[in-house]
Amino acid sequence: MKLAGILLAVAGWLIPMVGLTVTSSNAARLTLCLLGIAVALFGILGVLNKAHQKHAIWKV
Amino acid sequence: MRFWQPRSLRCCLAAFVLLLCGLPAWAQSQSTQTNGAQAAPAPATISLDTPLKVSGPSPDDLTAGDPSGTKTGSANDVVASDPKKGVTLTDLVNQVGQNRIGINFTWTLVCGFLVMFMQAGFAIVETGLCRAKNANHTMMMNFMVYGFGLFAYWVCGFAIQMGSAAGTAMLGGASPLNGEFAIHLLGHDWGLIGTRGFFLGGATYDVGVMVLFLFQMVFMDTALTIVTGSVAERWKYAAFCVSSIVLGAFTYPLFAHWAWGGGWLAKLGANFGLGAGYADFAGSGVVHSVGAMTALAGALIIGPRIGKYNRDGSANAIPGHDIVIVLTGCFILAFGWFGFNPGSTLGASGALRISTVAVDTMLAGCTGSFGAVLYMWIKYGKPDASMSGNGLLAGLVAITAPSGYVNTRDACIIGIIAGLLVCLSVEFVDRVLRIDDPVGAISVHGACGLFGVVSVGLFADGTNTVKGLFYGDPGQLVAQLIGVVTLLGVIFPITYGVNLLIDIIIGQRVSAEDELEGLDIPEMGALCYPEFVLKHQPVPSGAAAAD
Repeated sequence: MKLAGILLAVAGWLIPMVGLTVTSSNAARLTLCLLGIAVALFGILGVLNKAHQKHAIWKV
Repeated sequence: MRFWQPRSLRCCLAAFVLLLCGLPAWAQSQSTQTNGAQAAPAPATISLDTPLKVSGPSPDDLTAGDPSGTKTGSANDVVASDPKKGVTLTDLVNQVGQNRIGINFTWTLVCGFLVMFMQAGFAIVETGLCRAKNANHTMMMNFMVYGFGLFAYWVCGFAIQMGSAAGTAMLGGASPLNGEFAIHLLGHDWGLIGTRGFFLGGATYDVGVMVLFLFQMVFMDTALTIVTGSVAERWKYAAFCVSSIVLGAFTYPLFAHWAWGGGWLAKLGANFGLGAGYADFAGSGVVHSVGAMTALAGALIIGPRIGKYNRDGSANAIPGHDIVIVLTGCFILAFGWFGFNPGSTLGASGALRISTVAVDTMLAGCTGSFGAVLYMWIKYGKPDASMSGNGLLAGLVAITAPSGYVNTRDACIIGIIAGLLVCLSVEFVDRVLRIDDPVGAISVHGACGLFGVVSVGLFADGTNTVKGLFYGDPGQLVAQLIGVVTLLGVIFPITYGVNLLIDIIIGQRVSAEDELEGLDIPEMGALCYPEFVLKHQPVPSGAAAAD
């Protein structure tokens, strides 16, 4: 799960980077950037955080 | 008698006025004709090496003193390269150039000294927001992070960040910094790291490079000290030492090179037509967000303090022990920010926008605290002191990136949004994500830092090379968002991986017994307040499992 979270964060970065090379439209690049940020945030705050919360000190 | 009739008088007066108005015009036209009739004088040829016949006050004049200040600083003070010959035009021109760079050196160094003093502000803000039993430990982390960071940055951090910063005209060029490792991909060069300036040796033993080093070093140290707040009261000191050194030596300089050292983010404009490329005037992204990424990684890995959350996941407030030093620290930080933002011009001569930058900084900090106070007052009925301080810092963090590019109205808007954002973010991090951040560093520096980066792409008004979406350039916003996603998708994974490795090798968290006792004695060997009687804190259920 932790690895999946980190991979999602990296994937979030790759989305706009690929977008930079495949399109020159600012609207498309903007959309891909926002999508990338959403994916990266989901990876960090959703997946990775959940993995750490699984064995949180207050749950034991 | 008829001549003095009123009608005749008016005619005479009108004729007189016309004569007066016409006379200068006639004289001017005659003068022009005269000048035009003369041959243009040949331009005087002045040799650059001809001694100038100028002299200042005599020694006798100066011996009598200069109470009015009109005699001090004159032609006598221009240094001649050949004293026998006297001052030449070449000497004069060189003196002007050296004065310009001298002014810029002085400005940048003094601003760097102000930023260095921010370490004291961060130290007491964080210590005040922690419990008394951990005060020595928290202060010691903030104290030693300065030394660890400085050393790591001198060894390799500066070279990685600024190793290709040659061409910094404000500081005389910094020409020895001329090496970069870049990869050629998709038809463009992607600058990854600088390669000149390790140990400040070789040709980088240069006055301009030293100014740049000092100024950039204190910025780096600001990023490092952000981390100590979010993992305070439970971070093992040995792990803190290693983590800080890696952050100062590699992680921070990496992103700083991409943004400020001429790396690939800075060239998004030239390579992909995205406005002026990633623009971060004083470091909402480079300094604050990089620090916050590490703070978030550390808080995730180390976990919350014992007693912060109940078994049902609800959060308990753990108040700090001294709100006086918290708010004093906020004032120190606000003062230091005058070095942080206006100093980022790297000079005063030829960079008069420093005044706008300083006013933007004041206003955003002010409206940031307004936003936070309003939010807390409306929602909880009281203007919370620690959140007021965090609101001030949130406004300052958010204006750090756009301070060089926005007008005062937009600075106020950025500040007030940041003040509201920090309150919402603290609640979200605390209650929804259940990430324990004793000082709110992830919200202040992370959420508001990223907002600051985005706000450049929205509010930059185009008066200083960068134009945002609201002023007609959507490409700039794309460049800023790429900076944000790089922080989340590259810098966070790197810093998380580093801290996970430290956790595996050294262990990041202190034992539950040490945490409950307070870290002053177990980790530091001495109490911060030995004459205080600390209240006994009962061990909550589940504490044993923390070890």
